[in-house]
Amino acid sequence: VTLTSPAEDVVAARPQPRRGVSLRDAGPPIALVAVTVVFSVLSSQFRTLGNFQNIMDAAAVLAVVTCGVTFVLIMGSIDLSATGVMAASAIAVALLVENNRNGNDLGFLGIALAVLLGAALGGLSGLLLVLLKVPSFMTTLGVSAIGLGIATLLFAGVQPNITDATLESWATERLLGFTYLTWIAAVCVLLGWVVQRFTRVGRYAYAIGGAEDVLALSGVRVAPYKVAVFTLAGAFYGLGAVMVTSQLGAGLVQAGADFTFSSITAAVVGGTLLTGGRGGVLHSAIGVLLIVVLTNGLVQVGVSPYWQGGVQGLIVVVAVAAAALPLRHRNQVVK
Amino acid sequence: MIVKSRFPAALAGLALVATALAGCSEQSTADNAGDSAGGACDPADVKLVGQVRNESNPYEASWLDGGDAFAESVGLKQQRLTYDGESTKQQEQIRQVLAGDTDCLVMNVLPNGDADTTPIVKGADAAGAYLVTQWNKPADLNVADYDTWISHITYNGEESGQQIGDALAEAMGGSGGIIALQGILDTAAAKDRFAGLEASLEANPDVELLDQQTANFSRQEALAVTETLLTKHGDKVKGIWAANDDMALGALQALKQAGRTDVAVAGIDAVPDALTAIQDGSMTATVSSDGPWQGGIGLAMGYCVATGELSMDDISDEDRAFFAEQFLITDDNVADFVTPETDPADFECDNVFSRVAGPLS
Repeated sequence: VTLTSPAEDVVAARPQPRRGVSLRDAGPPIALVAVTVVFSVLSSQFRTLGNFQNIMDAAAVLAVVTCGVTFVLIMGSIDLSATGVMAASAIAVALLVENNRNGNDLGFLGIALAVLLGAALGGLSGLLLVLLKVPSFMTTLGVSAIGLGIATLLFAGVQPNITDATLESWATERLLGFTYLTWIAAVCVLLGWVVQRFTRVGRYAYAIGGAEDVLALSGVRVAPYKVAVFTLAGAFYGLGAVMVTSQLGAGLVQAGADFTFSSITAAVVGGTLLTGGRGGVLHSAIGVLLIVVLTNGLVQVGVSPYWQGGVQGLIVVVAVAAAALPLRHRNQVVK
Repeated sequence: MIVKSRFPAALAGLALVATALAGCSEQSTADNAGDSAGGACDPADVKLVGQVRNESNPYEASWLDGGDAFAESVGLKQQRLTYDGESTKQQEQIRQVLAGDTDCLVMNVLPNGDADTTPIVKGADAAGAYLVTQWNKPADLNVADYDTWISHITYNGEESGQQIGDALAEAMGGSGGIIALQGILDTAAAKDRFAGLEASLEANPDVELLDQQTANFSRQEALAVTETLLTKHGDKVKGIWAANDDMALGALQALKQAGRTDVAVAGIDAVPDALTAIQDGSMTATVSSDGPWQGGIGLAMGYCVATGELSMDDISDEDRAFFAEQFLITDDNVADFVTPETDPADFECDNVFSRVAGPLS
């Protein structure tokens, strides 16, 4: 039983409980299970332990990046800066830890600085949004270009390859069968959930996404929370870039090339709405798994590469439509 | 009211542009008439322009360096242009160059895509500028139809795909399973290179293609795809054929993470990291188109024709559009390619067509 204000009680003719598992949240997990079962039946290679580890390892970076973008989506904004932020952080970390380009060997400090750079770029998106009142679509696109610019300058024509043993071990060493990267991703998702559930930033993100004007009218200064959310997202992208660099053994300007849209896709497939106010980190994590299982499964069952892109798109559309089905009876405007 | 005030301004602007354009084309036609006989330029008056996508890519940076090396050898300077892979920016730069003095202008251009070549060729033709294009050209655009478009140089992707396929087979002792990482499936480079692999597989019947997937020429996608394919095929994988070096390097990383050291890997492009990998034995082979040569040769051809040392009439039709020689790099010869250099002898007017490997079909 939840406490609601009297005013809300009057309006509240909601058919579903506000907390706990509802039908609305069940769509993506059901889809994930269904897809997994189908692939397991079709391919004996798919249902091996080795492939399960492979799927979790492959999902790690996308999970961290999607964590970041989820907070922005909950707020009803959009963030297209992952590509640029990750490029800057990836090159930065490759140049700060032990590498073949310069004498730096900052280890964890270097990793922290790269994540901070990501957070700073995220914060910049947020500041531009609240100070200049430019829509997040444009500010984040601009910040992405800034990040790519920083990365290109730092890149200076020569690929920085990392030789830092710690960072390299993240992708190669395993704990209980999973790489360190996978554990880092799991901790990030947990951390994201804690922030979303128990901190003011997390709660206000939902409120901003649900009804920003109401929140502002009730005396909450919204702007600092928006900046905080974008900063948090930037930090997640920065960490994602560090993880990519660990996987590839090199800092690449293209490190984040595909992540902007695949992370938003994963979040939406998982049930985080682009309109804001609904979904969450755990939903998005399911979305990430769904995408990665699809990519992996289509290869395992041997679908021709010429068909894969189309088949994957079709399954994603069907999954999203199925997930959104329980929302259909509301008078929700779709645009 | 706004409409009223803006309209005359717009009209004036348009008129200005029109006048400028008219001026340009008038001047160009005059130049063209003077040049069509060809080759009356004083060597010191030749203007050399090299244009590639960007300098943040080692291959294209080495291309421009090769152009500089040639320019220096004849006492000139090359104008280095980069357009960040944006077609509109490339066209804009070409227009600016052609708007200047086009007497004795030589351009060595990497068009962004097939469709970008046509306006560049037409612009250069109208201005009477000497032009050499490389890599991209629509099949129905015929070089011999133009007077100052000296040549189009490209590379046979089928040949390079087959070369690394054969090198892979040899490294595997002639038998075993391989996986193939394709490029962006709808590009000519990806199609041709894969056709080359298929030809190589026919010649090496004991090599079996276990699986082929696309990794879109990307190092990161190649890492993920290779990990998946390694779990799918396990120890049967003895070789990995990649349509470019970036994907080969991604595959190497996946092998490293899986703790596999018994798999041969080959790519194409000869990027510096791949050469390092061949040197330390982790990679088997790659193919080089010789970027510095490409940067120098286009300018050299133009210079020779502009100064009259080479007459357009003496250039055979086969040399107007050709596949250039490319080089398979293995651990035997990798040392020669680690520090790319140009050989001045390649750029002498008698030798500019010495690397013709076959006519463009």
